[in-house]
Amino acid sequence: MSEIFRLEDVSFTHPGGTRKVLNNMNLTIEEGSRNAILGANGAGKTTLFYTLTGVYKPQEGTVYDHGAPIEYTKDGLRNLRSDVAVILQNPDEQIFCSLVEEDVAFGPLNLGLDKEETAQRVAKALRDVRMTPFARRPLQQLSGGQRKRVAIAGALAMNPKIMIMDEPTAGLDPQASMEVMELAEKLHLQGVTVLISTHDIDIIYKWADTSDIICDGRIEYSGPAEGFYSDPETVYRCGLLTPSMFNMNRDICALDGMDPAPYPRNSCEFTAKFGNPKKSGRIICVGAEEEDAPAKYEEVMKDLSGVQTGVYGSDVRYALTDKNIDIQFDAMDMCFTGAVEGKDSVLFYDAIYAPTIKEQADRLRKIGFDVDMEVI
Amino acid sequence: MDELAYSSRMVNWAPLGKLLFVMCLLVVGLLTDSILVPIITFTIGIIMMAYSTNLKLPLLILVAIGEAILIMVLGSGMISILGDHSQPALWEDTFLWFNIYMTEQSFNTAWLIFFRAIAGVTLMLAFASSTPIPLLSFALKSLRIPNEIIELIVLIYRYAFLLLERFLVMIDAAQCRLGYNGSLTAMKSYAGAMAGTFIFSMELAEKSEAALACRNYNGTFPIFREPAKMSIIWVIISFGLAVGLYFLGQYTGDLVNFAKIFAPLFGWDI
Repeated sequence: MSEIFRLEDVSFTHPGGTRKVLNNMNLTIEEGSRNAILGANGAGKTTLFYTLTGVYKPQEGTVYDHGAPIEYTKDGLRNLRSDVAVILQNPDEQIFCSLVEEDVAFGPLNLGLDKEETAQRVAKALRDVRMTPFARRPLQQLSGGQRKRVAIAGALAMNPKIMIMDEPTAGLDPQASMEVMELAEKLHLQGVTVLISTHDIDIIYKWADTSDIICDGRIEYSGPAEGFYSDPETVYRCGLLTPSMFNMNRDICALDGMDPAPYPRNSCEFTAKFGNPKKSGRIICVGAEEEDAPAKYEEVMKDLSGVQTGVYGSDVRYALTDKNIDIQFDAMDMCFTGAVEGKDSVLFYDAIYAPTIKEQADRLRKIGFDVDMEVI
Repeated sequence: MDELAYSSRMVNWAPLGKLLFVMCLLVVGLLTDSILVPIITFTIGIIMMAYSTNLKLPLLILVAIGEAILIMVLGSGMISILGDHSQPALWEDTFLWFNIYMTEQSFNTAWLIFFRAIAGVTLMLAFASSTPIPLLSFALKSLRIPNEIIELIVLIYRYAFLLLERFLVMIDAAQCRLGYNGSLTAMKSYAGAMAGTFIFSMELAEKSEAALACRNYNGTFPIFREPAKMSIIWVIISFGLAVGLYFLGQYTGDLVNFAKIFAPLFGWDI
């Protein structure tokens, strides 16, 4: 993977301020990676994001975009921001228009796209965040969570190469949070570099490949999350906590005298590692597009009754709205957990998620569980 | 108001057409001395407002209209009792240090101004309740109004609601902490909420500038669904009605005399 952003000894102090919010920060973001930016409140996460988008110009050090220093000129910043979309923590700070669809269209129209292309992007983005019925609604009528979804849709409609999500799950209900993480995964599979900052350490532990920990404006740690969480003193000093899954794995392994590695990151891996599974249940994975999902559902389900079903991905979820689906959210983990427990299940997913499904099966294999999986 | 405008039955009418129509009626109401013209424009305004909102005006706007009418009643009342002393008085009196001198002319002028004012309010409300600000701003652009002014209008309008929302949250928060336990405490709570909203507005401005930059804002707010363009029909109807009303005003200057209408009631000798 090539580097997409690199910060070299970057320091930034807010005008009129005395404290360096970014203090000699060095950081490299790899292209196409799943990145978690973690840190306590006030650690400098949001400032880092604004620095990456050229909103803040560091007083010291250099920010490189694709190997070249960011140009703080009108054209340079325009080029940079055409590739980078940001979802801010507070949606009210980034929503500017009166109507939902107007706001989602704001970014694409600023990019100079024509009305037809913009309309397609708006419709797709709104559907991805389940806000299509609200397209013509004034934003004042929406709840905080709905506004957050509109903000996410606004960023998705930009079709960015780099997506920065500052607390994307804050203020969202658990189902909506799961959808956001599905979207993040989809973007990753589309080749978008995704940076997520969140305090929801359990959700991010499941998803991220790389964790960059910020403490007092410096990068304290970069790498796989386990390396950081294995050092409780540093975790505490950085104002963070270890994820439940990590804790349970560590504690059970300590009791049983086992090696904590490989580290389970979700329920199915945890169950596979500690549940003494016997025979795998069968998991039928059906990749589909929105158009052919209902037909595939009918075809697959005609011979299968009483088997638990799940959907993963907004397109298939939307297409199978009127079908009998048992698990609407976090279905991949739950179907694989079912398989570990010996239950059969059918998982319908957006075709783009095929590598994620395969990766999950591979991770289970590394833990020592060979899942009986059939991909259709 | 935007919420009302987006649900209006007139939202798809050309904003510039509506603006031209309303302006023509307002101007013609000022150009003639006949009270009949403002009465007609007021009636048109009421009908348009009723059609636009389907007679479903939010309480807040009804209160605002009521307040505006009250101010106009007071203003017109003052005009009516400050008549020209060279003319015969219908009513002359002294109240504390204030000399009341009402003449036939001052009484009729007060009514004329009152109807002009409420015609203006109803017409402008009919326009405002059917034209969302983004559509209006887009229409203003076609009038070659500078972009900076238009963007300021849009931004102020957008953030006014956010700040109002924030203010209401602060008021509720104060209520949860017994912030209205006694009039002095209530005043302190309101003052605190106002100061807090002001400080928040500064913070919001800073954050929004960064957020706008992140979304590639280049100085203009693009419109996704452009409003209807003004057709020639709007021009014909607006100017035709204005000319018609102007001539009507020319020939009906003395037709309606409110002093004579109210004379039997107050026993005035006209």
